[in-house]
Amino acid sequence: MKNRQSECIGSRLFGIETEYGILVEGRGAADLMEESRLLVQAYPGPWAGPWDYQAENPRRDMRGYTVDHLNYDREDARYDREGPGSHLSSQEQRADHALVNGARLYNDHGHPEYATPECRTLRQIVAHDRAGERIVHECARLRMEATGREVRIFKNNSDLHGMSYGCHEGYLVARTVPFESLLYGMLPFLVTRILYAGAGKTGVETDGPLREECQFQLSQRADFFEEIASVDTLARRPLFNTRDEAHADSRHYRRLHVICGDANLSQFATALKVGTTSLVLSLIESGWEPLFRLRDPVTAIKKLSRDPSFRWVLELEDGRTMRATDLQRIYLRDAQKLLAGADADTDWVLREWERVLNDLEQDYTLTEDRLDWVAKRRLLETFIESEGIWWEDPTLRSLDLEYHNVDPVEGLYYALEEAGQMVQVAGEEEIAAALTEPPANTRAALRGDLIRRFTPDITRVSWGRVALKEDARARWVPLPAEFGADPALTLSGQLQSAKTVAEAIAVLTGDSGDEDVPDQG
Amino acid sequence: MFPIKGEERIQRPVPQDPITRPGSDDGPKAPNVKRPDPSDLLKRMRRVDPDQAKRYRQRSGE
Repeated sequence: MKNRQSECIGSRLFGIETEYGILVEGRGAADLMEESRLLVQAYPGPWAGPWDYQAENPRRDMRGYTVDHLNYDREDARYDREGPGSHLSSQEQRADHALVNGARLYNDHGHPEYATPECRTLRQIVAHDRAGERIVHECARLRMEATGREVRIFKNNSDLHGMSYGCHEGYLVARTVPFESLLYGMLPFLVTRILYAGAGKTGVETDGPLREECQFQLSQRADFFEEIASVDTLARRPLFNTRDEAHADSRHYRRLHVICGDANLSQFATALKVGTTSLVLSLIESGWEPLFRLRDPVTAIKKLSRDPSFRWVLELEDGRTMRATDLQRIYLRDAQKLLAGADADTDWVLREWERVLNDLEQDYTLTEDRLDWVAKRRLLETFIESEGIWWEDPTLRSLDLEYHNVDPVEGLYYALEEAGQMVQVAGEEEIAAALTEPPANTRAALRGDLIRRFTPDITRVSWGRVALKEDARARWVPLPAEFGADPALTLSGQLQSAKTVAEAIAVLTGDSGDEDVPDQG
Repeated sequence: MFPIKGEERIQRPVPQDPITRPGSDDGPKAPNVKRPDPSDLLKRMRRVDPDQAKRYRQRSGE
């Protein structure tokens, strides 16, 4: 029997990267590269940088090749050539901040982006995702204080005028899993998980034959997918991103970079989204393969998202039709058979996954205390009824946006939470701790400890390694992805006992450090 | 062993019908959730600038 430890949610590293929307009084889209950078630079706590981009190559494709260039939005390219920050270097524009809680805060194409530290449990990921909302909001508050201009931050994925920005998830996956198994195993699942992971949106933003009347749809992002699989993320977005950046030892791991998800405010939706995805990956790692494929996944996610009947029927490649909830139940059924009892998070996901699917089929409003799209839709329906307006009223778009405002005094999601109407997963103490403390059982604990104690000696930082300066030399120290998976490993304790940079290097490398760090061009 | 062998996969029957429960064929029924007093939420929603979305323009992100 395979060791159950390797099948449970806790055996996998995962994280969430959220690009926030930003609205600054008196400023337009062309100014957002600068505004986002200045917002990140307002971060008041200790941090380290710059980021080590030599360890990354977003043009490398899982299928074994590297593309010449990534597609880019033409209008954004013009902003970058002519905008206020065009004289700055890429490093200056990005303003990378590696934080003491192990997270990364930076300016990504004009959006403040918060990438959680690596997590192993659902409570950790929920607490750190929520900590990110608070950190970005605090930066906005400080910018308002400094400039006198109002700054609003939205955790959503669309400006409702045709521009989208992402909330990506990263899952470490065994390198031994063939690309085709990942692709065909994940696609039907990713398309249909918007049933519970969608954040909801008023209207449709893209033209085409599917642009039927749609007052409200399940997903923020569904409108923006044009390909089944590709390495691109900024234009011609794929459902399945083939970027091959493990952020770990690529001989042993891939990182599945999920770009087709929505940013969730609901803690429950965040936990269920990450939990179900991790379990499906465990199925695929075990050799499981689905016996079905969607006929046209790109069209399917749009139809599913916009279906006004809530019957959610999809076409399969073999000509059959199947409800999306039933397709999800196939994944659920096999996960129950193969993974039940692996750990507490796994059992929570299996139980809540089934309950959500049952509720969605019986009466979707039963899920309004857990799912963002349902909570938002119900809010808007309440307003429509109260004010005697129609779905076409443009005020609803502003309310849609306000659902995602991360200001706890203004945001409509937070109003629901304040009223006790949303299920909570992480407690206030866990969220407050996540502002400054990394998950103790992941390599983020090593990164966070180094940043907390040796910031002046850090010359570069990334997910998988940190460059530490000892005397005149900078040396890499690795942050192993396996750290924390085995409780017997006590590297963190040893690191905490290191009093000097030299001792920290010795603890993390076993000797005097890896090769010298060359200058970053 | 945990992995499903290829042969088992091939022999495993493909469901001819979706896994549905009796009476679930027509989609969700009419809402039946008791809702709390919405007056506070409505007050907050009425405070929202109705033109906010018109001004909200972003760069394309990832």
